[in-house]
Amino acid sequence: MKTDDLISALAQDSEPEAHPARVLAYALPPALLVSAGLMWAYLGLRGDLGNALTTFPPLWRHVLTLGLFGVAAAMGWRLLRPEGRAPLLTLLVPALAAVAVLVWGILSTPQEGWQMALQGKTQMVCLIWVPLLSVAPVAAFLLAFRQGAPDRPALSGALAGLAGGGLGAAVYALHCIEDNPMFFVTWYGVAIAGVTLAASVIGARILRW
Amino acid sequence: MNGSDDDWAALLRAGMDGDSRSYRAFLSAISPVIRGIVRARGRMLGDAQCEDVVQDVLLAVHTKRHTWRQDAPLRPWLYAITRHKVVDAFRARGAAIAVPVEDFSDVLEAPADADPTERRDMEKLIGMLDDRSAGIVRLIGFEGHTTAETGAKLGMSEGAVRVALHRAFKTLSRLRERHVE
Repeated sequence: MKTDDLISALAQDSEPEAHPARVLAYALPPALLVSAGLMWAYLGLRGDLGNALTTFPPLWRHVLTLGLFGVAAAMGWRLLRPEGRAPLLTLLVPALAAVAVLVWGILSTPQEGWQMALQGKTQMVCLIWVPLLSVAPVAAFLLAFRQGAPDRPALSGALAGLAGGGLGAAVYALHCIEDNPMFFVTWYGVAIAGVTLAASVIGARILRW
Repeated sequence: MNGSDDDWAALLRAGMDGDSRSYRAFLSAISPVIRGIVRARGRMLGDAQCEDVVQDVLLAVHTKRHTWRQDAPLRPWLYAITRHKVVDAFRARGAAIAVPVEDFSDVLEAPADADPTERRDMEKLIGMLDDRSAGIVRLIGFEGHTTAETGAKLGMSEGAVRVALHRAFKTLSRLRERHVE
């Protein structure tokens, strides 16, 4: 086919393509509902949720995870245009905040209690459920990002993983009763890192164009 | 360099509002520029393979046109898409290259060759579509039919032809991704 013929054919296709914003607007709310529904049905809310959402340190879990979600989503958003640039160092803000909370947690825990604080009682539940609750939100972001033209698909996939993983962890935190930063910064962090790695690998495949 | 950013932006904007003549003019106007860039960056590919890459870029511009923000300058967007596909083409052929986007502004345009060689890559891909979609793309491409004329010829509604054509291009760009070699 000659280039001119291809142009003639392309010019006749006037069907609009869905914008990423539209896809996200349709996909993310149901994804959150799925995630929250799973948590509610299989895990349940923690008993003193009102208290956990109004006092530090437990509230740090939501501040950090939702902060990560916000920053990662904003970065991913900017990279949807092929010429897009994103100040990726902004990701250091939630990361350093998490480290600061972790350090504060270590300092305010007596040394004899470090091992117990780190291990907690629900380490395995956390490592299994944070990724599970992240599946739907990450999928929503990947679906929306597919409608964009990201120049670096693996990076955009990773950002979808961070954003969706942040949301998944925030949903999990509505159930989780571990209030020591040594526990939640460590294990939420490990879980979100795993989600991010997986999303990056998937993104490298499905976000190509 | 003829064709200012504003002219192109106006043509694409009209095209995105459904004016296929403006859109055709836009694609025709950017082709020599894309060809110039691809040839300058991809000398080792040879002119024939370069034309395959030009067609890849045009297909990408088409399927990703909604990622252009209508109030943003057009050239950076266009160059970014071109760069992405050129890098892709080299990677697929086993040669990694760095393509600094800043260099594009001073690349000379290259007109299409008189050489009428049909580009086989795209033809091969069209052959992978189902018969009806392939027929629609060929009728419109080779014979210059509109979607309405194509519909009349094939006994389909114009709407059905439009949807089929749109799906065909989405499938083509997906196939391209998988079969690029």
